Amino acid sequence: MNIATPKFGVGASALRKEDMPLVTGRGRYTDDVHPEGTLSAYVVRSPYSAARFTITSTEAAKAADGVHLVLTAADIPHIGPMKCQGVATQPDGSKHAVREMPVLCESAVRLVGDAVAFVVADTQALARDASELIEIEWEMGEGIAETAGALAEDAPLVWPELGTNRAYTYKIGDERATEQAFADAAHVSRIAFTNQRLISNYMETRASLGEYDAERDRFTLTTGTQGVHGVRDTLAKDNFSIDAEKVRVVTNDVGGGFGTKAFNYRENPLVLEAAKRLGRPVKWVGDRTEHFLVDAHGRDNVVVAEMAMDAEGRFLGLKIDLKANLGAYCGQFGPMIPVIGTSMTTGLYDIANIDVTVTGVYTNTTPVDAYRGAGRPEAAFLIERLADTCARDLGLPVEEIRRKNFIRPDQFPYKTATGRTYDVGEFDGHMTRAMECADWAGFEERAEEAKGRGRLRGIGMATYIEACAFAGSEAANLELNEDGTVTLYIGTQTNGQGHSTAYSQFIADKIGIDFDRIIVHQGDTDRLAKGGGTGGSRSIPLGGVSVAKASDSLAEKMRKVAADELEASAADIELVDGEARIVGTDRTMTYADLAKAASMEDRKADAEIVQDEATYPNGTHICEIEIDPETGTSEIVAYTIVDDFGVTVNPTLLLGQVHGGAVQGIGQALSEEAVHAEDGQLVTASFQDYTMPRAEGLPNFTFETRNVPSTTNALGIKGAGEAATIGSTPATLNAVVDALYRARGLTDIAMPATPQRIWNALNAV
Amino acid sequence: MTLSIHLTVNGAAQDVALDDPRVTLLDLLRERLHLTGTKKGCDRGQCGACTVLVDGRRVNSCLTLAASLEGAEVLTIEGVARGDELHPVQAAFIANDGFQCGYCTPGQIMSAIGLISEGRLDGDPERVREGMSGNLCRCGAYAGITNAVLEAEATMSETAKEAAE
Ligand code: FES
Ligand code: FES
Repeated sequence: MNIATPKFGVGASALRKEDMPLVTGRGRYTDDVHPEGTLSAYVVRSPYSAARFTITSTEAAKAADGVHLVLTAADIPHIGPMKCQGVATQPDGSKHAVREMPVLCESAVRLVGDAVAFVVADTQALARDASELIEIEWEMGEGIAETAGALAEDAPLVWPELGTNRAYTYKIGDERATEQAFADAAHVSRIAFTNQRLISNYMETRASLGEYDAERDRFTLTTGTQGVHGVRDTLAKDNFSIDAEKVRVVTNDVGGGFGTKAFNYRENPLVLEAAKRLGRPVKWVGDRTEHFLVDAHGRDNVVVAEMAMDAEGRFLGLKIDLKANLGAYCGQFGPMIPVIGTSMTTGLYDIANIDVTVTGVYTNTTPVDAYRGAGRPEAAFLIERLADTCARDLGLPVEEIRRKNFIRPDQFPYKTATGRTYDVGEFDGHMTRAMECADWAGFEERAEEAKGRGRLRGIGMATYIEACAFAGSEAANLELNEDGTVTLYIGTQTNGQGHSTAYSQFIADKIGIDFDRIIVHQGDTDRLAKGGGTGGSRSIPLGGVSVAKASDSLAEKMRKVAADELEASAADIELVDGEARIVGTDRTMTYADLAKAASMEDRKADAEIVQDEATYPNGTHICEIEIDPETGTSEIVAYTIVDDFGVTVNPTLLLGQVHGGAVQGIGQALSEEAVHAEDGQLVTASFQDYTMPRAEGLPNFTFETRNVPSTTNALGIKGAGEAATIGSTPATLNAVVDALYRARGLTDIAMPATPQRIWNALNAV
Repeated sequence: MTLSIHLTVNGAAQDVALDDPRVTLLDLLRERLHLTGTKKGCDRGQCGACTVLVDGRRVNSCLTLAASLEGAEVLTIEGVARGDELHPVQAAFIANDGFQCGYCTPGQIMSAIGLISEGRLDGDPERVREGMSGNLCRCGAYAGITNAVLEAEATMSETAKEAAE
C-alpha cells in the first residue's frame, strides 16, 4: 500500500518548490531570454481612437540606422486576423457578426494603440527612432468610448457598415413568467450601476520572442501565456494557416496572468513573421503604457437590475438589462464573458424566474475580455448589491434576506433558472460562521466607538458562488526516470499559483517520493501533446484529479515491477521514501533500480479524467470599513472570509490565492478604474493615474474554510483561483454603502468608491 | 561620445563604457551586465520592481542614470545570498509565502533589505506597509510580504545582537 509523505501530501502546507530561483534573481521570464543575435521590435500605434490613414512611405524608416525590417499591412496579406472564439448566440438562434482585430491595420484604426506598422532594428531605441520616419497621413474620425452613449441614435459608428454599435443581443430566462412574477410582487427593488473597466496590470508586461528554423520551416515563439497549446493553435490556424506542427510555443516563468495572458496577441505573429524574413530572433517587449493601452481589459458593464419579492421578501423574479462594452473588436473570448457571467446571476439564491438581456456594444476602446473571474465577479456584484438593496428597501437585516432566499441544503442538486446544476453547498452555514468570526453582533458597539472618534463605520457582506473548472479535462502524463525521479507533463500553465508544488503533492501522496525528486513540465508544445491551459480556476480541480489518477496507475505498475524483482506479491509492496519495500521487511529496491528493471511501458502512466459539470466554490466575505468624513478616505479595519472550496490541497497556496484575489477585488471596489475621454483616449494610462492597491491601507485578513466536498469533482475539489476576487468587490462596496447609509441615509455609491466620490456623496446631502 | 565609469556591482569592480549618457542603471544591469534578476515593471519609478541598493540605499534603478554612478557600490538580487545561504530576507519571503509569480520579488526583497537597514521599523506592521508601499505586487502577496519583512527584521536584529556580544 501507499504511504503518504505527510509533509508533502495533499492537504499539507508544503512550501513552494518554485521559490528558490525566484528569490535569488534566477527566474526566467520572457524578457530574460536573449538568444545570440536577437533583434528588437517596436510597434507603431495609432494616437487616435478613430481615424483613417495612409502610409505614404516607409523608405526613410527602412534606411535608418540599425533598421532591418519594416512591416505594414500591405506586407502581410497572408496573415489572418486575431480570431474571436467566443461568439454569442442571439435570441433568433443566429450567431452575431464579428469584427476581428487585424494583425496590422490596413487603412482604419479603431482605438488608441491600434497597430499600424512593425519596425525591427538592432535595439529597441533605434526601432522607435526609425518609427518616427514612417510617413503616415491621418484623417481623424470621431470616436466614442462610453457604452450607453455608443447606443445613442447619433453616436459615431465604430463599424459604419454595421449601421449600429450594437454587436449582439443575448437573452436567457423566461420573459413572460418573469413578467408575471413582477405583476404578482408585493415589492420591487432596483439598482442601476456601472461595473467599471479594469486593467490587468500583471507586473510583467507582455513580451514575445520569435525564432524561425528555416531548415525545418518551423516557428518558435517564447512568450508568457496561460497555456501554450491555445496560443499555438490560434497562431497556426488563424494567423498563418499552417499545421500546428509548424509552430512551437514555449512559456517560461510568467509574471502574472489573471486571464488576460490567455490570449494570442498580434505581436506574436509579427515577431514570428519578422524572424522568418530576417533569419534572426526577433523580440518585442511591451512597456507599461502599451500594457494599459492594448492588452485586453476587464469588466465594463452598465447594468439595471430589478428584483420582484413577495410580502416577506422572498425573491420571485429577477430582471436584468446588461450592456457590455466589448471595445472596438471582439476579443478572443470577449462576447462570451458577459454570457458566462449571467449564467451565474442568480447567485446562491433560489430564484424561479429570470429575464436577462445582454447587449454587446462596440466602442473605440481596447477589447474587453477575460480578467480574473471573467463575468462571474460581475454576476456576484450584481446579485449581492441587489440583495442588500432589497433588504434595505424592506427594512430587513441583510443576513435575513439572504437566509430567506438561499438554496437550502435539501434542494441539491439544484438547477438554477439559468440552467446550471449546483452539486452541494451550505450557504447559511458559511454565512453564519463568517458572522461569528467577524463578530457581526458586536458591530453596533464598534460603530458607536468609531463615531466618538469622528469616523463613519460600516459593515458589509457578500455571499458568493462561482463556477469553476468548466466541463472538460486535463491530461496528465507521468514518467519514472532512470535516476528514480518522476516527471509530470501537464498542459496547464502556472502564472505563479504554485502548480508544480500542488501537483507534486498529489504525486508524493501516491508514490512516496520527495518533492525535489519530482519534475513538473508545463509550457512547451514540443514536450506536451495537448493541454487546456490555466483559466477559470481549472488547473487543480481538473489537472489535479488526472495527476492523482496517473500517480495511482504508475504506483501500481511500480509495485508490480518491484514484486517481480523482489519475488513478492504486489500487494505486499509499499512505496516509501523513494524505495519499494516488502512491507514489514528490510527488503527494498530504489526507484532508480526499479526504473532500470521496468519496461518503458511500465515506467509511464497517463490519465485524463473528464468532468462534465463545473464545480461551485462559494463563501462569505465580510468587510468592515471606516470612513473619515473630513477627507472621504476609507480604511478597511477588519476583513473576514469563510470559504467552501470543497477540499484543500495546500493551505499555503490557497491562502496566497485568497489574499491576492481579495486584494484585486478590493482594488476594484475602492480605487481602480480605467477612464476614457469621450472620444476614447485612455486617461488612466500609468500607475500615476490608475490607482493600484498597495501594501499600505490593506487589512489583515481572517480566513477559514468550511469545506463541503464537491460531488462533481472526483476528489471533491472546487477550485479557488478567482473566488476571492469575486466575493471581495461586493462585500467592500456593501460596507461603504452601509457606512454612508448609517451616516446620511445614502443607499448607493458609484464604483470605485474613491475618497473623492465618498467626500462628494457625503457633502451633497 | 563615450563615457566610461567605474563602479562595483555585487562586490565585483566593473568598468563600463557608455555610448549613450541616457542609459539607466536598470538597462545597464539587465542588458549590458546580463544581471536579469532586477525587473522592469514600468520604467518610470512607479512600481518598485527595479529596486536595487546603491551605497546601501534603495533606489529605483529605472530612474537612476548609470552615468551618475561613478565609484558607487551597487547591490542587486543576485548579490544578496552568500553562496547557498540565503539572505534572511530571502529566507523570510519563502517562509512567509511573500510572493506568487515572483516578478516583483527581487524589487521587494531589495526594498526590504534597504528598509530594515534604515532601522525605523521596530516590529511595527504599519511602518512596514508604509515603507514597502512603493513596491507594487499585482499577485497581492502584501500580507505575506509584511510578515516576511517583520520576521527578517527580527532575525537580523537578533543576529546583530549576538554578533555584538
Ligand atoms: S521599473 Fe522602476 S519603478 Fe517600475
Ligand atoms: S508576486 Fe506577482 S507581482 Fe508580486
